[in-house]
Formats: sequence, C-alpha cells, structure tokens
Amino acid sequence: MRSHITNALVVGLSLTTCRIVLTTYAALRKRRPYILLSCIGATSTLYLSAKTELPIPDAAYEVLSNYCLDCHDEAEMKGDVNLDLISIDWGQKDNRDLWEKAHYVAKEGFMPPAKKRQPNEKERATLIRWLDGKLLENTPIGGTPPRRLSADEYRSTIRSLFDLPDYELPLGFPKDSEFHGFNNVGEGLVLSPPLMEAYNKVAELIADTIYPPARKAPPLTTRTAGPNDMVLSFSAGKVVDDSLLLVSRGHEIFRSCSWPSRMEVMSSGTYRITVSAAKHKPTWGGPMKLEIRARELSASDRSRADIFRLLKVMDVPSTEPTTITFEAELYEGQTLLFRWMNADMAHDYTKFAKHMEEWFEKDPRWLAAWQHTVFPNGDLSKIRTSVIRGRSGWEFLNKAFNDPNLDMSRATMDDELTVKFLELADSDTGMFNFADILCHYYFTNGPALEFHQATIEGPLKTVDGPREMLAKKLQKRFTGNRIPGQSDEAFTRDILERFLPQAFRRPVDQETIETYLDIAKRRWAQGGDFDAAMHLLIRNILISPRFIYRLLSPGELDDYDLASRLSYFLTQAPPDKKLLDLAQKGKLSDPQILRREALRLLPQKPTDAMVQSFTSQWLDTNLLPEIMPDPVFKFSEAEITIAEEEVEHFFSEILTQNLPMTDFIDPDFHYTTPAFAKDNYQYSQAEKAAMKSSSMGSESELRKLPLDRGGRYGGLLSQSAVMTATANGVDTQPVLRGVWVLENILGMPPPPPPKNVPALTPDTRGANTPRELLAAHTSEDSCATCHVRIDPVGFVLENFDPVGNWREEWPKTGIPIDPTGTLPDGTPIKDVTELKSWLVDHIDFFSLCLSEKLVTYATGRVPNFAERKEIETIVHQNREKGNGFQDLMLALITSETFRTK
Amino acid sequence: MLPMRTQTNLPGVSTIGRRQFLRAAGALIALPALESIAAPIAKAATSTASAKNLVSIGAYLGWHQKAFFPKEVGKGYHLPTTLAPLADHQNDFTVFSGLDHRAPNGHGAWSNFLCGNAPNTYSMDQIVADQIGQKSRFPSVQLTAGTGEGSKAMSFTKRGIGLPMIQRPSVFYKQLFMSESDKARMEYMLRSGRSSLDLVLDDATRLKKSVPQSDGDKLEEYFDSMRSVEKRMERQISQINDPLPTTDYKLPDSDPITPNLLMEAEVLMYDLMALAIETDSSRVLSFFIDGLGQVFSFDGQPLRSGYHGLSHHGNDPEMIRDLVSIESAHMVCLNGFLGQLKEKKRPNGKSLLDETIILVGTGMGDASRHSNANLPTLVAGGGFNHGSHIAIDQGKQDAPLLGDLYISLMQRLGVETNEFSNASRNMNQLFS
Repeated sequence: MRSHITNALVVGLSLTTCRIVLTTYAALRKRRPYILLSCIGATSTLYLSAKTELPIPDAAYEVLSNYCLDCHDEAEMKGDVNLDLISIDWGQKDNRDLWEKAHYVAKEGFMPPAKKRQPNEKERATLIRWLDGKLLENTPIGGTPPRRLSADEYRSTIRSLFDLPDYELPLGFPKDSEFHGFNNVGEGLVLSPPLMEAYNKVAELIADTIYPPARKAPPLTTRTAGPNDMVLSFSAGKVVDDSLLLVSRGHEIFRSCSWPSRMEVMSSGTYRITVSAAKHKPTWGGPMKLEIRARELSASDRSRADIFRLLKVMDVPSTEPTTITFEAELYEGQTLLFRWMNADMAHDYTKFAKHMEEWFEKDPRWLAAWQHTVFPNGDLSKIRTSVIRGRSGWEFLNKAFNDPNLDMSRATMDDELTVKFLELADSDTGMFNFADILCHYYFTNGPALEFHQATIEGPLKTVDGPREMLAKKLQKRFTGNRIPGQSDEAFTRDILERFLPQAFRRPVDQETIETYLDIAKRRWAQGGDFDAAMHLLIRNILISPRFIYRLLSPGELDDYDLASRLSYFLTQAPPDKKLLDLAQKGKLSDPQILRREALRLLPQKPTDAMVQSFTSQWLDTNLLPEIMPDPVFKFSEAEITIAEEEVEHFFSEILTQNLPMTDFIDPDFHYTTPAFAKDNYQYSQAEKAAMKSSSMGSESELRKLPLDRGGRYGGLLSQSAVMTATANGVDTQPVLRGVWVLENILGMPPPPPPKNVPALTPDTRGANTPRELLAAHTSEDSCATCHVRIDPVGFVLENFDPVGNWREEWPKTGIPIDPTGTLPDGTPIKDVTELKSWLVDHIDFFSLCLSEKLVTYATGRVPNFAERKEIETIVHQNREKGNGFQDLMLALITSETFRTK
Repeated sequence: MLPMRTQTNLPGVSTIGRRQFLRAAGALIALPALESIAAPIAKAATSTASAKNLVSIGAYLGWHQKAFFPKEVGKGYHLPTTLAPLADHQNDFTVFSGLDHRAPNGHGAWSNFLCGNAPNTYSMDQIVADQIGQKSRFPSVQLTAGTGEGSKAMSFTKRGIGLPMIQRPSVFYKQLFMSESDKARMEYMLRSGRSSLDLVLDDATRLKKSVPQSDGDKLEEYFDSMRSVEKRMERQISQINDPLPTTDYKLPDSDPITPNLLMEAEVLMYDLMALAIETDSSRVLSFFIDGLGQVFSFDGQPLRSGYHGLSHHGNDPEMIRDLVSIESAHMVCLNGFLGQLKEKKRPNGKSLLDETIILVGTGMGDASRHSNANLPTLVAGGGFNHGSHIAIDQGKQDAPLLGDLYISLMQRLGVETNEFSNASRNMNQLFS
C-alpha cells in the first residue's frame, strides 16, 4: 500500500522525503493537515490543495484514531492491517477489500474487540457513512474470473452435449474444492495436471463410447451350468438332491432369483438356450412358470428382476424334467437369470403378512412355533428379528414345531403376540428375515421349482448389443447426415460448424474450424479412416479450453456468457438451443426476455440439479453422508434419506409456489412423510394426515403436511437434516450451530479465527454442560470478540439433539437445558420459537443472506460492496411486493450484478 | 466350454484355484524383464529401506475378533481358528490386538482401515505410493474381490479422492501382461493424442490472445497442465518398446465376479499380485475383500445365512461358527499368497516375502455391533521379526495406535515420516 503514497503526493518530493512525511503523518494529522502541508513547502501546498484531498475526512479519522489505530497503524499492524494511510487508491481491489472488511467488522460490531473501548452510535455511524459512500462510489460491479466448469457442470455438459443422460464421471475423478461455501466459485476452480489427465481420460472414454474400438470375432462356444454352478444368495435357492430349488418370488434378485456364476456372454449375438426344470412336491395341478431373463453379470445383486430383459416364460408342467430350447439375443456381459413367477411365497410387504395370516389360520401349531421363535420370553419383552436368519432361524422354528411340549396356549389370531408378529411381518424389520426363514420351510416341504440345467450355445450370429446400438445412435447425433456425394472433408467441415458452437457454447470463427479440420486431415493423411478422425476430434474438442472454461470472451459479459450463466445457474447444464438462438439475436440481455427465460428454466422439482446442488451446499446437508448418528438416536439410514429429501422438497415448494421468504423460517407446513413427522417433529396430526393422503401415494412418499405457525418445529431451523449436519452424530456443538446460523441464516459470518490461536485448555472442573464448558471462550480475550456472538446463538438450538429430536435435559447428567441466548445486536432470546419470530420480524437479514448465497452460486464470485447494495435494494423492494421467493430469484437474475462479468 | 463342477470343500478354492497356486508358484514364468531389473533391486536393498513392496488387504465385514486374536501373548501362541490355515507361516507374521484409529463407527467409516482417524482422507498406501510408487510401472494398484459394492474405495489420494478398484482379474492381467493388440492400441492412442495436441494448443494460444491480459493469465493453469500431460505422453511413447514382462500363467475363461465366487476371485488376484511383485510392475497394491448377502457352501452344505447376515451373528455360536469358516477360507487364500512369495527368490537369494510387507486388516472391529474399535490386524513379511502376538492394552495411557504401527511400516519402506493421521510415534520398540 505504501507505493500508492507516491502516486498521491506527486509533488516533486523524493521518496525519502515521503517516508519522513509518512512517519510523522499520524501525529501531525491530529492537529491540522495544513501544518503538514506547510511543512512540505509552498509549491506542494498549492498542488495538493488543488488536486489531492486527504483520503480520510477529519470526522471519520477522529473515530479511527480514537478506536482503531492503536492496533491498526503502521507500527502495530495487528492482523496485518494498517488503516493509518496517507492515501488510498480506491481503484485497487486490494484496497477496497481492506476497507470493505473494516466496514463489515465495524458495522457488525466485531471490532473494536469487546474488551476495548467502544465508539458510541454516532461515532460508529460517522465512520460507516464515510465508508459507505467511498466504497459504493469506487466499487465497480462485476469481476468473476474465467472459470473452468465445476465437476458437476462438466458432467451435465457431457450429458447434454452427447445425449448421455445417465453419464457419470469415472470413480477417482478429482473433486472440486469448496470456496466461500460453494464448489463452483471462480477462485476455487483451478486447473491442475491431475485434473487435466482426468479430462483427457474422459475424452478418450467418450470417444470410445461413440466410436468403439474394433474387436476380434468371437469363437463359437457351448457352456453349461448345472445346479452347483448357480448363485445362491440369502435364501433364494438351495441345492437338494442334485437340483436347485427355487421357492419364492420377489423384486430384488438376491432374494428370490438364481443365475449361473460362470456363464458370462463375451460378445453380443444370437444364442441357442436350453433349459430343463421340473416341479418339486407340487401342491396344485397347473404348470409352474419359470421366468428366464438376461441379466448383466456386473449389475448389482440388489437390482430388481424386472429391469432385466425377459427372454422366455417356461411352462413346467410335471415332476418329470421338461426341457425347452429357444434362440434369443444375449449381449456382451450378460448371463441368464431364473425366477419362479408363480411361487407360493412372495418377498413383498402386504402379500407376505397376508400369506402368514392365512397360514396361521389353517395351522395354529406353526403359529405357536413362530411365536416361540420370535418372542423367546413368551411376551413382548424380547423380540428377535435380525438375529434369526436363514437356516439358523429355520432350525430353531422347526425344532419348536416338533417339540411335543410346544406351548399352544397363545396360538390364536387375536393374541397380542400374533398381532405383533403380523405387524413385524408387514415391516422391513421383520419381513425380509421371516421370509428368508420361511424359504427353508419350502425347501423341506415344497412346493418348489427344480432347476436342472441350462446351456448356452453361440453366438450363432453376431448382433449389435446395447454398446453398438448406443454407439450408432451417438454417431448419428454427432455427425448428422451426409449430403449424398459429399467428401469426407466437406462433411467434416459441416460437422464442426454445427458441433463446435454447441461444445464451446458460443460462435466459433473460421480459424478455429480450420484448426480442428486439420486434426482430421492429418489423421486421414496417416491412413486413418473417417471414424478414426471423428474419434480423434472428439478427444481433442473435449480438452480445448473453449470447452473447459466459461467466461473466456473479450470485453464485457456478452449474450452468450449470459446464456451460460443463466443456464448453469438454473439447470447446472449448458445453454439449450433456445437460449443460444436468443443470444445470437442479441436479445437475451433484454431484461424482459431474460426474465421470461429465467422463468422457463427455473427448477420445477425437488430433484432438479439446482435444488439439490444449491441447498446441500448452502445448508451443509452435503455433510450428511459422512455423519453417522449414534445408534442411541435410532435415526435410520432411511430417515437420513428422508431428511435430505425434505430440505429439497421444502426449498422447491417455496420456490415454485412463490411463497413468502418468511416461510423458510416459520412455514405453515412440513414437507415430509407422516411417519417421519410423527417420529421426529412431534407431529400430532400424523395419523390423520397419513389417512387423508394415503390415496396420494406410498407411505414413504414425501408430502405437504399442514402445520400451525409459531411452534418449535417447522422451517429450516428445526429440520432434521440441518440439525444433524450441524452436529457430529454423537453430541451437539453450540459453536457449530452458532456459526451456522450466523453464516447461513443471518448473513453475519464471524471473521475467521485469528492465526495461531492456542487450543483452549480451560479449567473445566465442575463444568457439567456445554454452556459451562464454553464459558472459557468468553473469558478468554482473543476468543471473546467472536464467541460472544457465536455461542449464545448456538445455545438457543440446544433443545435439538444431534438428529434434531426435542429434548429438555442434557444427556447423562439430566440437567435441564437452558436455551436462552442473545442475538449479535444484543436482543435476548428465550428459545427457538422466539428466535424464529425475531427472524420473521426482521426477515430482510435472512433474505439478504440467501440472496448473497444465490448470487455467489450463480455468478461464481462473492458479491462485493456495491453488489451487496444492489441486492439489499432488491430485497427491500421485494418485501414491499409480497416477499415471494420466486420473485426474488427473478429480480436477482435481472440485476446488474448478475448481468455483469 | 466350462466343465460342470460340483461344489468343492472351500468355495472358490476349487480345482482351478489350487492348480493356479501350483502353477504360479512354479517355474512356468518366462521373465525376460527380471534379469534386467535385478540390478536396481539389489541397489534398493542396500539402501536404508529394507522392504520395498506393500500389500494392504482389507476385509469389508471384518474379522471375528475372538477367532482372530490368539489367547496367549508373545511367541509360541496357539493359532486361533481363523488363522489356523496360516500354520506353515506362523513365524512369518505377527498378530496385533488392541489397535485402532479411534475412528467413527459404522460401515460408512470403513475406510478408516487405511485412512486412520478420518475416513476418506489420504490413505497410508497412497502416502507410500507417492513416495516409492514411481519406481515401478504402476505407482499403485487397487483391486477388489467381489463387486466392491460394500465400500466404493479403500485407497484415497492426498486430496481425499477415492480410487477405483479393478474387479476383473482379466483386466488386471491385461494391464500386467499386455497383448500385442492392446499394446498397438495404446501406442495409437498415445501417438495420435500427442500429435494432435499441438493444434489444440495453437487454438488455445489464439484464444488467450483474444481475451484481456488478466483472463489470459488465468489460462496459464491450462497450459501448465497440458504441458504435464504432454510430458507424460512423451515418456510413455519413449518407453513403448521397453520389454514388458510375459507369463504363461492363464486365467479361466470367465471372470469370477459373482459374489459366491469370492474366494475364487481372491485366489486369482493373489496369483496376479505375486506376479506383479515378481515383475516389479507395482510396489504398492491394495486388495479389498467385499462381503454381501452371498451364501457360501462348504462340503456341499450351504451356510446358515449369507455372509453379511452371518456378520450380524448376535453372539449365536452357530452363526459365529459359519462366519469364522468364511474368514478362515479367506486365510486359505492368503496362505497360498504367502507361500508363493516365500518360494520366489530374487537373484540375491532374498525371497519376495522378505521384501514385501503384507498388512491384513479391516476398518470394522466388530460387524455385529458396527464397532470400529480394536481392529484385527496382521503383518507378514517385510523382514520383521515375526512369530508373536503383540497385545496392546487400550486402557493404558500412551497405548499405541494402529497409526503408530503404520508409521513403523512406512519407515521400513523408506518413507521418512513420524506421523500418520492421529498417530505421531511408531512401534519400533515393540516390533522391528
């Protein structure tokens, strides 16, 4: 900063003189500037009074001098900050950043430190008013650097460019680092050699997908699989007397299907398939039906059977083996999958419980045996579900059944054990385990389907498998149609003229087209065919900076940049044809049209990429997969998933319905499942809601549930996902939650902790609660400045345990929780409901906070002083107009901040 | 055509598996590269590091503690059930109890095995690979038996990126012993990529000139990164005609990738790892043993429940017996690996086992309770004094952590470090 001094005092003085002036400046300044000037000399005085003003007006300087400069002058430079400047070049971003920081800490009261003498309101206002004016006057809107695509954007771009909707980046693809809370901020998006290698690898893989490398013709083979070559998982099958028994039907293949483990087809073709099977201990006369499907051997065993192509349904009419032979197409990587379609028993909630009920009605002895197995104490004090599994459970059950002393006294349908059993059989805790046991009943007693053998001969004829079919489709899309008689070169030029602007998201000049055409021509010159040249072009287009980077254009943000910005913001994907057309016509920068296009692209569903990506990063719910709640909280993995989805549904509902901003804090609805609301939100209307909405879909479907405003639950501040993400799965940390609220709800993030803070080793004897433990923060000088603001906000949320359930006492000690706290401005807060009502009354804090996050996510830069002012104005105006969230989004998109590079 | 086969005593350790043990252990390998690399190896052996390879093996569902930890401490302990198949090599390994990383519990934190206290961060094998891996063709190799569904990754880079694992033995085989057509394809990809790069860079330079200076400066990152890719391609092109190891080792014509063939996959992967070490193709190998619902059969009799189901044994003795029978089957496979490494000798007479540290462990201490404390751990080879059960009393103040053992292992491999994750000492006093 010192170098700027010379610029300001262009008075013909030597640098040495300047230095002398500088060191005495602070002292002199306290008298009158004229004295200083007269020291310098008459000519200089003239010049200065005409051209240069002292950078800090007297009134503001007095405040600085009295409250700041003791630490932040040239001599002390605490935190590397010197505010005692003889000149300020406001044109320099570094300088503006420094004073912006000063403005922020002064305004929010982080400075002066709590223990130091504080300026009165008027003094503080004087300083802030001066900085407001200066910063606003000197901060230009804009300033995002060119940025590469984030990994998420890169993936969606490939999906959209090549029409590969399910494309996933290869495992091991480098992750983006988070910057200011988001993974798509320009400053954080650096390009490194490992990432470039990954881009190169992906480019090769995509090229191979579209133009697969040639392969040798496969030999004709015959492969046979007998009962012992089949996969047995859980209780899906069992080998008895040299045949494989199948006894159940279900959706997931590892519960009820079997498949050969060493019969993977290595190339796509027509195969002759022979299968033999027989009935085993049938109890009815009709044919058993055996489904034969083509399963990808590498697909997960958890897959549903019906995602695999059905080849044949085989009738198995008798206990004598039946053999059928048929021809079918099998593709590379596939094998056969067998399922008994009309088995007695199903691994399916509703059907299974019903099946058991009917069985017990016919045979109470089995009921008694099950009661004995599942309720070993003869009452509900002990329930065994997961421990007894498979054959183990069956042996226990069978022993009980054959025990002459089996207690039959409770084997009635209305007994509480029977009721409980059927309830368990109707839930995932019991059903899968009971069904796995029951399979063994059928292995022993029938009916079962006997599988004897399967043979595959082939390929009789080579056919296009999914890989080849996909490749042909993608080639067509990449090249378009060749005009009859067109040369390779002319055709390629057409392809490049059409494809490059799509890939590079803006018009491409002739020179670039020629450069890429040269790549193809060189390939041909070296003996490559047309396809080889296309393969090579794809590899190279995908590593061009024009593809990898955004915002690489001369001059200001043009319509094409704007199209990309809008599209990546709202859809995480590159601009579609409509946007590019508008950009080409120069119409997109028209605010009316921009607004209309924004409305068209705005997320519509909770599963839209923008909703998931933005909410998980803003609210830190992307931490959830790494947080494993302690089992004592009984917060299952299924519940974690619902909690994550709840946030997305909630956000999406407020956005699409244009609900007021206050609904983020104190809404009149939950968006979750009735069961989740009942278990986690003390939701008393759950049963009614479940009944009422049962027609709407399955139990596990999230829905809008009515809620009275003003309660402890409802809104972001009590949602399970947020409360879990701001704890660590074991205990709560008021500091984490305090910082989280300041950063993500109030928009007053505390400055980062000073460097070299020693770890606290407080005297914690006699401290029983986190509040007492954390008292050390506020007694320690260096910590107090920020922690007097952080901790009291965190305490307010202490009624929520690490998964967001309400509690009144500290675990272990049983000491009642004291949720009182204070807001940064000193407002005392009694508990979470009071915090919520304060936020509703002062909703602009939250709206501004969320707006800044949205703008950061959208533009790839943290809004600067002038941009925040614009956003503030938008927030105020939007509140006047009903404060709808969708309106706010649209206003932000049409702002100057959004429309500037 | 695949022969019809009846269920054998151990799932997967079928006739093919046993034969491959013998073949891989025998002198069937033609290895022109071996002599040419003999010199650098001898040199490495005289430097401070006395071991040069690391093989880390992790079982997703853990090892049942009671059947893994010997009852007695020190030398001459009785082999517990799980370790019984390793009897021939009892003096070539050390068992550790009472070690862990004080990491979070649950399947989700499984990767603490190699990552230490913080799952999904820079793993020990990758630290080693970054130091010594460059000396061989593949700086590190990640393999899995089974689908790898249990844990997506066991090894993590410095930046916390989980590395993908190779599931098919045939894929690993092709990397080790490239066929002529694979080699031709690789050469084509390198040469065509390298020659077209100039044109892409020409275009990029034009782009750079068209934008404001400050934006152009940002593009330097791109040019730097591209130069690094270019260099790598050139290095590979210059090495393309270097002789590659060859072998007459043959894989079965179908990859054992279904979960019930887990043991068969293990046997093949161990064979290939032994070959990789012998040919100095890679010095850092990680091997993940997955576990899902698959039901194994022993002596034609299926076990009581699937592998994962058995791991939730709830202390039922019969469930535990079945679980342990699977775990000892893993050890049968490992035994074959140790045997091969012991038999294969370098020209200087040193066995591959002497120069290779084999770490066997898990990130899950007790799958029945999803607890990640007291991780069963075994270290074989690497020239350590073996034959003991080293029991650590976790209750003692200053009790060493598993990370302290890792520090000792890394030091033995020539990695100069005094810390790993939450550990900052070593176990050289107890184990050297």
